[in-house]
Amino acid sequence: MEAEIASLQAAALAEIETVGDRSSLDAFKVKYLGKQGEITKLSEGMRHVAKEDRPRFGKALNELRQSVTSRVEEREQALASQADAEALSRVDISLPGIPAEQGALHPLTHLLDRAVRIFRRLGFAVAEGPDIEDEWHCFDALNTPPDHPARNEQDTFYLPDGRLLRTHTSTVQIRVMENQAPPVRIVAPGAAYRRDEVDATHLAQFTQMEGLYVDRNVSVADLKGTTEYFFRQLFGSETEVRFRPHFFPFTEPSYEIDIRAKSLGGKWMELAGCGMVDPAVFEAICQKRGDRAFDPDVVSGFAFGFGLDRLAMNLAQVPDIRMLVENDLRFLKQFSAL
Amino acid sequence: MNISLNWLREFVDWTGTPEELATLLTRTGLEVGNIATRGADFPKVVIAQILEATQHPNADRLSVCRVDDGSGHPRQIVCGAKNFKVGDKVPLALPGAVLPGDFKIKVGKLRGVESEGMLCSAKELSLAADADGLLILPADAPVGQPIATLFPPETAFEIEITPNRPDWLSHVGIAREVAAFTNQPLKWTRPAAPQTTEYAGRIGNLERCPFYTLQRITGVKVGPSPDWLRQRLESVGLRSINNVVDVTNFVMLEIGQPLHAFDAAKVNGDVQVRLAGEGEKFLALDGREYTLSADDLVIADSARSLALAGVMGGEESGVTETTTEILLESAIFQTSGVRRTGRRLDLHSDSSYRFERGIDPAGVLAASARATQLILELAGGTVAGSAEVSGTEPQAPSPVALRQGKVNAVLGLELTAEEIASALSGLGLTAKEVSEIATTWGIPSHRLDLTREVDLVEEVARVVGIDRIPSKVSANPAEPTKADASYDFQIRVRGRLAGLGLSEARTSTLVSPASVWSEAEAIKLKNPLGEDQSFLRSSLIPGLLAAVERNLRYGAASVALFEIGRTFHARGREESPTLAIALTGQSRASSWRDGAAKPFDWWNLKGIIAALIPVELEWKKADAQGDLALVSTVSANGKTLGLIGQLSPAAARKLDARESVLVAEIDLSALQSIPASPVYREIPKYPATTRDIAIVVPATLPYGEIEKTLLAVREPLLVDIEPFDVFSDATGAKLAADRKSVAISLTFRAPERTLNSDEVTASVSRLRDKLKADLGAEFRE
Repeated sequence: MEAEIASLQAAALAEIETVGDRSSLDAFKVKYLGKQGEITKLSEGMRHVAKEDRPRFGKALNELRQSVTSRVEEREQALASQADAEALSRVDISLPGIPAEQGALHPLTHLLDRAVRIFRRLGFAVAEGPDIEDEWHCFDALNTPPDHPARNEQDTFYLPDGRLLRTHTSTVQIRVMENQAPPVRIVAPGAAYRRDEVDATHLAQFTQMEGLYVDRNVSVADLKGTTEYFFRQLFGSETEVRFRPHFFPFTEPSYEIDIRAKSLGGKWMELAGCGMVDPAVFEAICQKRGDRAFDPDVVSGFAFGFGLDRLAMNLAQVPDIRMLVENDLRFLKQFSAL
Repeated sequence: MNISLNWLREFVDWTGTPEELATLLTRTGLEVGNIATRGADFPKVVIAQILEATQHPNADRLSVCRVDDGSGHPRQIVCGAKNFKVGDKVPLALPGAVLPGDFKIKVGKLRGVESEGMLCSAKELSLAADADGLLILPADAPVGQPIATLFPPETAFEIEITPNRPDWLSHVGIAREVAAFTNQPLKWTRPAAPQTTEYAGRIGNLERCPFYTLQRITGVKVGPSPDWLRQRLESVGLRSINNVVDVTNFVMLEIGQPLHAFDAAKVNGDVQVRLAGEGEKFLALDGREYTLSADDLVIADSARSLALAGVMGGEESGVTETTTEILLESAIFQTSGVRRTGRRLDLHSDSSYRFERGIDPAGVLAASARATQLILELAGGTVAGSAEVSGTEPQAPSPVALRQGKVNAVLGLELTAEEIASALSGLGLTAKEVSEIATTWGIPSHRLDLTREVDLVEEVARVVGIDRIPSKVSANPAEPTKADASYDFQIRVRGRLAGLGLSEARTSTLVSPASVWSEAEAIKLKNPLGEDQSFLRSSLIPGLLAAVERNLRYGAASVALFEIGRTFHARGREESPTLAIALTGQSRASSWRDGAAKPFDWWNLKGIIAALIPVELEWKKADAQGDLALVSTVSANGKTLGLIGQLSPAAARKLDARESVLVAEIDLSALQSIPASPVYREIPKYPATTRDIAIVVPATLPYGEIEKTLLAVREPLLVDIEPFDVFSDATGAKLAADRKSVAISLTFRAPERTLNSDEVTASVSRLRDKLKADLGAEFRE
């Protein structure tokens, strides 16, 4: 019996060395370990073994089964890793990737959102107002004389009912102050319209961003600091900011802001208008509100506004402003960077 | 407006460069555009005369000249030009001269012959863009004198003047500002007013013309203006006409008061200032006939209108070569009236430009006196009587009180009372009453813009300069607004759509009538730029489709666009934030792995909307509208959000689309109002069981009906229904042509235990029975 076990073991262990694939291994398993397999058959011989010898034979048989099983497992693992390696070796990692379609935000959205985030860092909230406005919000409340050329039908779009398309986002200043007592600290991005013939640098509809800060003791120093901070955040800390005295009906003193920055091509660029809110604007608001919440002897404020389209053009070196509204995908997709 | 530096220097000393002056003017609030220099201001370039010219021994094209440079020692110059003769006077650049382009003149040899300088062309002296040969100077040009004596250097500044500062519309006005900002005296005093006599009844409308003066001058001889006058006018871009007209223009440019001279011989009877008759015709100096309205002010005689007051003179009453007697007008016309007339007739002049902005009342008679004196000087003649004065010279502006504290509060500075006073005095304001707190300032007559305290604050700010004001930046949190919430929401929607592969478009709010689906519901402009921009868009879809078309024409294989913008409606909410999507072409490009490209279809769009709005959506077929042949509304929680649609094939072909064109439009406010509840829901602990069924139903039966039927059974364990194959065969070979086979995967799960096979089987069997009973479904096993 022991001799049989030993010879079976020798035969099995010799044979497994010759097994080269999965199916021969399966056949081997059936041949030796299966229900009718050699080892099972040998185990059945236990019946004829003397009782006192049984533990010894049992043990030997067990060892036989274990050694074969363990070799089978080893072999199985070796075959599996061999198959895995072969499978991986067939993966051609040099083939091009399958494109994942990536959209893009409009360059104006990128710029506008950067601007909003900078002002939010300073604690400004976002405000909005309608595109369709009345003369009071667009002109009267902003201290624009009744015969001012801006009110002209040549320059401003009117509706048949006498209302108009706002010519600037400064209307939002008025909307906000009508509804909210000081302090007011807002930025308002939005569309504005002027009856300009469209060309490489003009659109009849453009995008502006307006800012307003009204509180006690707001001065030109705040105006200067805030706008300088904004433009340096937007264009880089090396950005030069220049304030030129100017005139707007709704601010006094008024300034135009010029910027010179590497990111804008290193040339002085007229970018924004700003100033201290004119007392006449506060008076118009007080009258409308029926209170003295914006008494110009108590509160003061600054306002600023700038166009985003030309800025986006200059930042991205876009040669023609009309490209911003043509929506050519070959253009838009250039702005998909993170 | 153009300002000449030479002219300006008559009234204020300026030793800096033109660029430095431009910087100073900018600091005062003037916007300086182009700076044009003319003339030839080159040291060591002199007027020379050619004494002798011989052929160069070694070069056919060159001559050797002996020229007189005024030094008494003739110079030898080699020259390549041929256009001169001996005796001509020409510009000579002496050794050491530097010509434009940093061209340094030295003594040198040309083909072996020494040349002690260079004879110049007009181009070499930047006097002309091109030149053929030497610049031949007038025979009387003084030899040896600098070339600048013939071509005096001149710098003209193009200046933009803000509407609040009419006092800047003259050389004296600008000089006044330069003097104030450089602490120099103004070298000008206002000419004394002439003798006047009251002339009553001349002005028919005192509101439109508060003050009118006429000076008669007889015996004038109209002729060309002298060089100095011609040069002054030309230096700022005006054409010389004749000595009388030139004087009126000159005085306007000098002190800002527009003047007009009438030919007295052409005036019949009395001069009147009155409103025009409605429909009255007027032939203006520009040769055009204008039809006037009863709101236009005219200067008229007993027969007809002679001039459009403050705007333009008449063709028939102007000064000509034959004029011998003139009436010189100097007046004030109401700003808004002149503006209305100018706008109505689209007629603008240097005169109306000034009257529209406001006139220094003290300048009216001064200008008359100055012009009279110049006319007498240049055209002879005598003053006939006193200036006839009608109306009253308007009062100088009222004094304005300024609190020192206010200045510092607005500017963020701590200026002393003395600093403030010095700033304002420099500008010609005079302190009237001084107290601890405030000073009352007298305002000079030319500063019509200074009427309020804040106007004086601004003056102090200008003089002190913004550079002196410190920069202060502070962060104070404002209460977030509704606009903040919608801004953030819209940015998230934009980001998600870009992540889904769509690119953001921005189209115009102003659209053509063809882009408006219902004119009754759309808002129209009263004064559009053109028919194609005459409506406010009521939908974003037409604009996006135009963008689709443009991209397809450029050969785009795939177009996936979205836009977030306002739409405008005549009914309901006037302005609504809206999202629109347009898709066509490849949704998936062809690749080595997936084979051929796949076009966008209805279900891609549905998938995008579902990914954008991660709540249970309800889709409902709706009627076709406009170009949309297939339409479905989409709602959530019973609230309609918008629609999706597919263009009719005909409409798609019009866009050059070869595949389906899909669009969606969603109301962003409705979308934003869907409650976002990021609250944890338990993740299933027990495994799900999936069973597939395949049914054959009529080809026209919508899948939605099948799903509805399955849901109607209310199987408590059924958690998901997913179709995974839809098959039909038009040939009828594999399946009757009017039938389709739909394979559906049913997922069952119980939250608290693992399901056993029998209960799932029982459930599936109930579902099958229902499909059979309600839809007549057959089963493919």
